[in-house]
Amino acid sequence: MASEVLLQAIVAGLLFGMVLSVVALGLTIIFGVMDIVNFAHGEFLMIGMYTGLLVSQYTGADPLFALPVAAVIGGLLGYLCYWLFVRLLLRGPMLAQLLGTFGLMLFLRNLALLLFGSEDRSIQKGILVGKSVVIFGSCVVPSTKLGAAVLAVLAFLGTYLFIEKTKIGKALQATAINPHAARFMGISTDRMNALAWVIGGAGVTVAGGLLVNFWAVNPYVGLLFTMLAFTIVALGGFGSVPGAFFAGLIVGIITEFPGIWDAISLWTGWNWMYKVPMISFKYTWVYLAYFLIMLITPKGLFGWKR
Amino acid sequence: MEAIRNALDFKDLPRSEVYLSWAVALFLIIFPLLPFSSFAMATMIQFLIFAVYGMGWNTIGGYGGQVDLGKAQYVGIGAYTTTVALIRWDIPFWVSMPLGMAISVLWSFMIGYPLFKLKGHYFAIATIATSLVLKDLFEVWGFVGAARGLHISPVKYPPPDFLRLIFKEDVYYYYLLLGFFFLAVFVMNWFRHSALGYRLRCIKDNEEVAKALGINVHWAKIKTYALATAYVSAMGSVHAMYIKNIEPEDTMSLDISVLIALMAMLGGAGSLWGPIIGAAVLVPMKSYLKEWMGAKMGLIGIDLIIYGFIIMVIAAVEPKGLWGLYERWKGKRSAP
Repeated sequence: MASEVLLQAIVAGLLFGMVLSVVALGLTIIFGVMDIVNFAHGEFLMIGMYTGLLVSQYTGADPLFALPVAAVIGGLLGYLCYWLFVRLLLRGPMLAQLLGTFGLMLFLRNLALLLFGSEDRSIQKGILVGKSVVIFGSCVVPSTKLGAAVLAVLAFLGTYLFIEKTKIGKALQATAINPHAARFMGISTDRMNALAWVIGGAGVTVAGGLLVNFWAVNPYVGLLFTMLAFTIVALGGFGSVPGAFFAGLIVGIITEFPGIWDAISLWTGWNWMYKVPMISFKYTWVYLAYFLIMLITPKGLFGWKR
Repeated sequence: MEAIRNALDFKDLPRSEVYLSWAVALFLIIFPLLPFSSFAMATMIQFLIFAVYGMGWNTIGGYGGQVDLGKAQYVGIGAYTTTVALIRWDIPFWVSMPLGMAISVLWSFMIGYPLFKLKGHYFAIATIATSLVLKDLFEVWGFVGAARGLHISPVKYPPPDFLRLIFKEDVYYYYLLLGFFFLAVFVMNWFRHSALGYRLRCIKDNEEVAKALGINVHWAKIKTYALATAYVSAMGSVHAMYIKNIEPEDTMSLDISVLIALMAMLGGAGSLWGPIIGAAVLVPMKSYLKEWMGAKMGLIGIDLIIYGFIIMVIAAVEPKGLWGLYERWKGKRSAP
């Protein structure tokens, strides 16, 4: 019994973690290339979620077909943000960058509140919605989560290969390692920065399109995912793409800590363990994990930037 | 003695600024005698509260350059300490406020020690994380009312109660807050002239140089953080008595932390008047926008949209805030 609960929690954590790693991908690329932390990251995700929801509502198509639309919108949004706004922020001190992206976050969040209202909305029908799959013999997984996780891994792999194998990807990496040297090699770092924002924006809105399959969306959904993404990026190492994937899996498991706690309490049979309202601390562990990771290994698992 | 002399010494400021600040002080003192609506009064109270919050943030964030986005946790500790002390044990405000400050400062030392090993973005995000952890804790802790929060009933304590700070008319709160406000300005002025203040500005300019000069960088930051905490916690206590209804979502959310940082940043971080100017611009704007465009026209969230936009523009155009704009203008005028 205990082992089944444990397996269930770990599988759920891993699947969620795969989606989370795509959420964090954009943040880590943007940070790696230009040392700027985007506090509006979760709001980009929210926009992706609303895109998935609205496209499937108005066209009647499955939410999964909204993913390309979400990617285009996210890429455009990232591009516009860079050219109109972030480019100006780069001249100022760090304080201005932090608060500037915070302003962007407030702006986008409340724009969504004005346009869509504050109520929770979720997808009601689709190919995957309402079905579930049994894996590993006894582990029941909603097929929305499984589908989202598989697509997330594909999206992640695609981005990774783009950055590692293509010439543009290599130029992006060069800009991240040393912008001055990259400029001497004839790379337009300004364009590479814009590209980082396009990839970052598109990646996170695609993640939003995946997430909306099993997660209700409201205008305030962003902050939680911003914090989750920060934790993943800190754990994986600021600027490291493979780090983001493994850290995403770890953070996914941390979010399933209440399930693991249940498994332990079933296994030991200790009474006091049932009384702890662990479910209310679902994300507290993630914040604590961020704090501890930063103290123990500020560079993260795969980090090279400090 | 030295400290008091420093606190009252405004001689290094230009004379025009001193006269202007006297005029503003006079206006603040006679404000309740003028025929203004109760809405204006409530806005002024909010202004005073946020100006002091902003001044607290300005010590570590402005003079020290350490972007702290977790000030809401100290608002929460201050507010909860006074409210819980009043409701559970009937401890008067004037005892529980210093108690709340002591608890806050203790907590700030506990988390400040590890926090200040981090720099820049890492520090900012870590302060958010600690604040959210504390908020999650308060949301399930039954003793302090969990997510529903606590409510001070004015029926139980007949106003006006100077010991417990329960009043019916806003005027009492106004003058009380004004007293705190002036005190805060003087403490701020002391800090500006103190050795700690100079050390901190040196750290902001160049941490390596500060280290080479023999400044204990880590300890200076922690001490200043504790000072900022004391400011915010004291004001949190008064805030709780004023609104009489506190819950984790209102008092400890990230929005409060950001608002506090924004006040100081919009006015001009690292200057004496910056947070006051920021609060004087942002608080009335926010409450009027909310009142007129939000409530009357049914556009929910429009106040924060405009708000966010202004922040974006300020951050992109003049990171030193309104005070920076003024100084630039003054510099241009006085230049030959």
